[in-house]
Formats: sequence, structure tokens, C-alpha cells
Amino acid sequence: MRDLADPALFEAGGQHRTWRWLRENDPVHRHDRGFWSVTRYADVDRVLRDHTCFTSERGTLLNLLGRDDPAAGRQLAATDPPEHDRMRAPLRKVMDLRSAAAYEPSVITAITGLLAPGLDGPEFDLAAAVRGLPLALAGPLLGLPDEDRPRLLTLVMAASAEDDPDYQVAGDASGTLRRAHRELFAYFLHLVRERARTPGEDLISLMLSPDGGRMNPGTAVSNCYSLLLGASVTLPNVVSSTVFELARGGGYRAWAGRPELLRDGVEEALRWASPGSHFMRHTTRPVRLSGVDLPAGEPVVAWIGSANRDPAVFADPDTFDPARTPNRHLAFGSGHHYCIGSHLARLTLRLFFATLFATFADVEVVGEPVRVRSTFLTGFKKLIISGTPRRGQ
Amino acid sequence: MTTVTSRDDLELESAYEAPRTDIERRLAGLWSAKLRVAPVGIEDDFFELGGDSLLAADVQFAIDREFGFEVPAWTLFLSPTIAELAEVIGSPAPLDHA
Repeated sequence: MRDLADPALFEAGGQHRTWRWLRENDPVHRHDRGFWSVTRYADVDRVLRDHTCFTSERGTLLNLLGRDDPAAGRQLAATDPPEHDRMRAPLRKVMDLRSAAAYEPSVITAITGLLAPGLDGPEFDLAAAVRGLPLALAGPLLGLPDEDRPRLLTLVMAASAEDDPDYQVAGDASGTLRRAHRELFAYFLHLVRERARTPGEDLISLMLSPDGGRMNPGTAVSNCYSLLLGASVTLPNVVSSTVFELARGGGYRAWAGRPELLRDGVEEALRWASPGSHFMRHTTRPVRLSGVDLPAGEPVVAWIGSANRDPAVFADPDTFDPARTPNRHLAFGSGHHYCIGSHLARLTLRLFFATLFATFADVEVVGEPVRVRSTFLTGFKKLIISGTPRRGQ
Repeated sequence: MTTVTSRDDLELESAYEAPRTDIERRLAGLWSAKLRVAPVGIEDDFFELGGDSLLAADVQFAIDREFGFEVPAWTLFLSPTIAELAEVIGSPAPLDHA
């Protein structure tokens, strides 16, 4: 059986075959490298949800296996309740101060800009274009000046795909990660100070305001970083995985012609793409999952991408069905750590697909697509498509 | 957490150099408090002493309060030694070119 800890498996798109076999034959699988893989929906949901048996404080991603997580107890994703909930509440409150709809016009403008190359030429790299999607959201949300966006995009790519020579900003992967990470923190630090002096209507100003509970400035910096990186490693891959499938399977016109299915279709896109394919936890005590006994202190990887294709929950799971309801996918996680930006991600994806469908009557994949090489991020690094503009363009 | 790590127990590339000025001494004291390491030399790298980006943001705000003005945001992240910080703080008209 192919190794789920090997990024090459995902780069070749072979993870689904491995997950299917595991779900059917060995749903709680012990790997030679000393971690467990959980692939059924019910078990994945339990591992993500049950924070008393499964802790987030010893690394939440497979590439941290065997190392200490420096963010443990200090950042939301790496902190267990009840401290997690105390840290999350202020950010949640700030995010609710202003309706997400307020950002819609700026996001639509940015999306039309991303799709413009598809109208200017016969073909364009959709994967490259939608790497700008997170900033299309974070720009208006955090009030990021337009002129800063190209550099931010470079840094975000370097901070999330440091192994890829195309994105490196320093000599090697660790140098790239360090440089990108520090420059982004410095950038947000600068911005937080600026908003402390001259508040605007953006989320950073709200974090520092009396209404937002006057968040500690260091926490505000860290929240900005997490929001931008969180959006960056997920949103583009939902689009690229979904458009690839729609073009390949011929489902583009079917969904594009049913505007009433925008919401359900976006949920299906999230299920289908599952851009964050796993989260890791460690058992805090002996636990039984699907009849298998796990000792305390063991690393357990919950494969969200597999849970979202589990036929026990989703009929015909390997078919993209924009009308699928109910659709209780785990793409945003489950329980206390459920994605804090999920409403913003949904808004952005709805606006993206609505704009895509308004712009192109159909799309076709041309050239050889290139998948992301990562055990965590699933999507395409390169996806050249040719769009048929709607009449009147 | 009540422990303080001895600088000798860390494997640093820099040799210990004691603070020479009042600004350097105040910075060293502040770093020791935040990093829980003592003593801190003026050529020691903040990140090698155990600092990370989260802590760096905290330390920058503490420095602002300590010295009463804003040190450019890049300084601690990209030039992470006390000697370099002190030079920026000690210069007569610090410009925020960030």
C-alpha cells in the first residue's frame, strides 16, 4: 500500500485509491513510521471533535510528527479547550462586528481582475490566477493597501510551499520559510501600529477598538497572519480541484446553468476538494476507534479528504453533484476547531463561482495539470484552462 | 513558568558580549524577561535564543513602551540583535521606513 506520509503520492493524485482501501479494509491503520491513519467519516469526526481524548497541542500536521509544535498553547489551531475557547472568542466577536456582505463589492472587483487573463488570451493558468483569491478577500477585510499585494502574495506562497523552488525567497526551504514568516509578521506589526494610530473600518482596527475588546496588539498581529495564511492554503485549492473535475467530467455547464444551486454547489466543491486533507492529534488516554485499541500518547492522523468520500455518509461519493443535500462534509473540520473563517470562505467561493459562470459558458483543461506536492494541501499548482466567453463579452 | 535558562546551556554561534550602554542594558533586561534566558549578549540572535515570530511581535510592543517611540517594525525580525536594535533606538531621528 502506498505511503500516506509521502507527498509524492498526493502529487500523483493517488491518495483516493489508498484511502478507499483503508476505509474498507483497515480503517484504523498503524503505519511503520509510528502514527495511525483514520479514514472513516465517523472516526475522523470523533478525532477532530473529541478534544479530551485527542489533543492538538503536540503538532497538528503530519510534517510536525516527532517534533515539538512551537505554537502549542499560543495559537488557536494548536491549543485545546478551554484555553482555545478563551483565545477564540475575541476574534470571533470582532469578525461578527461587521457583516461579511460589506466586503462583497471589493471582492467581486478583485475576482474579475483574476479572471481577466482568460478573456484576453486563448488560455490561462487558473491555478496561478486564483492564488490571488485569498488576497481578494483579505485585502478588503484587513484593509491591505493595493500596492502591498504583490509582495504579500510572494511571501504567502513562500510561507506555504517553501519546498517548491518556484516560490523560494531565500536559498533553501528552511531559509525561505524563516524569511517569509518574519517578513509577514513584521508587515502586520507595522500595519497594527498604523491602525492603532489611524483606525479605519477594517478588521484590524476593529480588533484594537473598544467594541472589539481592545485586543493585545501581539495577538492582533498573530491573528492577521493566521487569517491570511489560512485563506491562502485553502481557497485556491478548492477552486482548482473543482474546476478540474467540472472540466474533466463535463459538469461545468450543468452547474453553471443552475444559479439556484450556487450555495449547495459550493458545499459540494468544499467536500470534493477538501483542501486541507488532514489534521493530526495525539491520544491523551487509551481510546477505541472502529474496534481498534489505541494506547495513550499516539499520533493519529484524521484524513478529512477520505472522510468526505466515505460512502457510508455520501451516496456515490466520487461523483461531483452540485445538488447534493444534505452535505455534512468535514472540509472546515469539526467541533471546537471548526474553521473560524468558514463564513468568509463560503462567501468568497460563492462570489468566485458566480463570477466564473457569468464570465465563461464552459471551460476546458489544456496542457498537463500539475498537482501540489504535499500531504496536507490538495489542489493544483498549475491548471491551464481555455474558457469559452459568454456571448456579449 | 518560573524557570530561567542559562545562556551557557544554549548552543549559540555568537560569543557573549556584555551590554555597553544604558540602552543595550535595558534591552538585554527586557529580552531576558521575555525569553527567560540570562544573560543576553548584544550580538546574540533573538531567534537563536528561543524567540519566535509570535514573541517578537510582543517584544516589539514592549520596546515601544520602554523607549516611548516606535522602532521600525522590520528591525527585530530582520536584524535580530541588541547591538542593531540599540543603534536604531539611539540614533537621533529614527525614521519608520517600514
